Amino acid sequence: MTIRVFTALLLVCVLTLAGLAIFVSGLFLRDQLAPLVTDIEANQELMLVIFEISVASVVLVLAFTSLLFFAVGHFIAKPIRLVANAMRAFAESGQVPAPITVWAPKEVRELEVAFSGYTGRVDEVHKHDMEVSRVKSDFISTAAHQLRTPLTGIRWALEALQMEQLTESQKALVASAVEKSHQLVSVVGTLLDISSIESGKYKYDMKRTRVDDILEEVARDFAPQAATAQVSFVFEKSGSESAVVSVDRERIRWVLNNLVENAIRYTPAGGSVRITSDAAAGRAYVRVHDTGIGIPDTDRANIFTRFYRASNAVSKQNGGNGLGLYIARTIATDHGGDLNFEANGSGPGTTFTLSLPVVE
Amino acid sequence: MADTKFILVVEDDPILKNLLGHTLAGKYQTLYASDGNEAIALLEANKPVLVLLDLMLPTMDGFAVLESIRARTDELKNVPIVVVSNLGAETDIEKAKSLGANDYLIKAEVAVEEIVAKIESMLAPSA
Repeated sequence: MTIRVFTALLLVCVLTLAGLAIFVSGLFLRDQLAPLVTDIEANQELMLVIFEISVASVVLVLAFTSLLFFAVGHFIAKPIRLVANAMRAFAESGQVPAPITVWAPKEVRELEVAFSGYTGRVDEVHKHDMEVSRVKSDFISTAAHQLRTPLTGIRWALEALQMEQLTESQKALVASAVEKSHQLVSVVGTLLDISSIESGKYKYDMKRTRVDDILEEVARDFAPQAATAQVSFVFEKSGSESAVVSVDRERIRWVLNNLVENAIRYTPAGGSVRITSDAAAGRAYVRVHDTGIGIPDTDRANIFTRFYRASNAVSKQNGGNGLGLYIARTIATDHGGDLNFEANGSGPGTTFTLSLPVVE
Repeated sequence: MADTKFILVVEDDPILKNLLGHTLAGKYQTLYASDGNEAIALLEANKPVLVLLDLMLPTMDGFAVLESIRARTDELKNVPIVVVSNLGAETDIEKAKSLGANDYLIKAEVAVEEIVAKIESMLAPSA
């Protein structure tokens, strides 16, 4: 019920009571005064005057209540509505409210001041948060650049060493070092990519790709890891022709690697991880099903939040940084797709679903 | 052409400079500069046929060197320039290319042999 409706009801009551009072006093006056006036004409005139006074009183009360109604509407309901609208705008888009310019009673003013203090505080915290995030991104990219220079030296020196006359065992040692230096180069590269994806500066290299082609690659790459973890791992190809999507293959591979790696990591020996793909209504879906430890109810709302790690993931001894799913979802949404998950309906485990828009 | 063809390598890290030299020495006549000003001086004195340019340099950085070379009025204006830097963000690559770099290699992500291959392919048409 709005203030206006409430006031209107209140005033209708007042009006009814006032009308009743006027009517009763009119009757009373007529009954008491009529016997005192014996002249018929004077009596009729008196009755008319009483009637006129009654009507005038009713009109006056009507005018007063209308005035009251509009005053309440204009000076109380409207300012409150303005403050409420400003609050809603702030909640929806973070738009910091401008002070309301209409006259408003003290309580509404206080509400407005309290609200603007609140938005100021939220805004300050938000700015601080953005700053921290920016500094962190800068830090990651500076650190990665600092790593690259010595890494270049190590890599080039090892590659030069490979050109020398070496014994077989020396060759094997240098080859290991070269391989590890390449791995380190790619880790640093990924770190830089992540920091630029996170800051929204990353430029994707979009190419048309068959979904199944990517999945076959993923299946091949993770077969050894799954075997070591004693987890059965398959890509179940759908019977129909693979959907074609326009994606940055490297980045989507990164997303899928993360999903599959997580699935294998959190699935106990003897369990299974399956990848399936399907398409419907212009979207391709890649699903990674596992029979792992699952995600506790209390953590479900947060697992796509930066640096968040599910309680049962933290207690397990494994190396995660809480960035994987956050970045993965960012990549998915940057592609016009999405990343979601649900607990398996029957049996333990979780299914992550990556959706991407189909081209053609 | 009997003239010696010089390649100018602009690299401020002495160890990386030596490692580059280790491979390039047998193949090209190389000149080394460790900052932007030295690079411009050597460029004018020796008229190299190609420049390998690092971006993060003391005094005058690689972007400034690029700009200064492309703003010249003599024949050195069009010398091929391959940026070899550990800066690797798209913004850096785009900026370098828009300033006139012919190619861009991320130092840590290439072997010296790949740099040699790049030099070969850049010099091939005019050889």
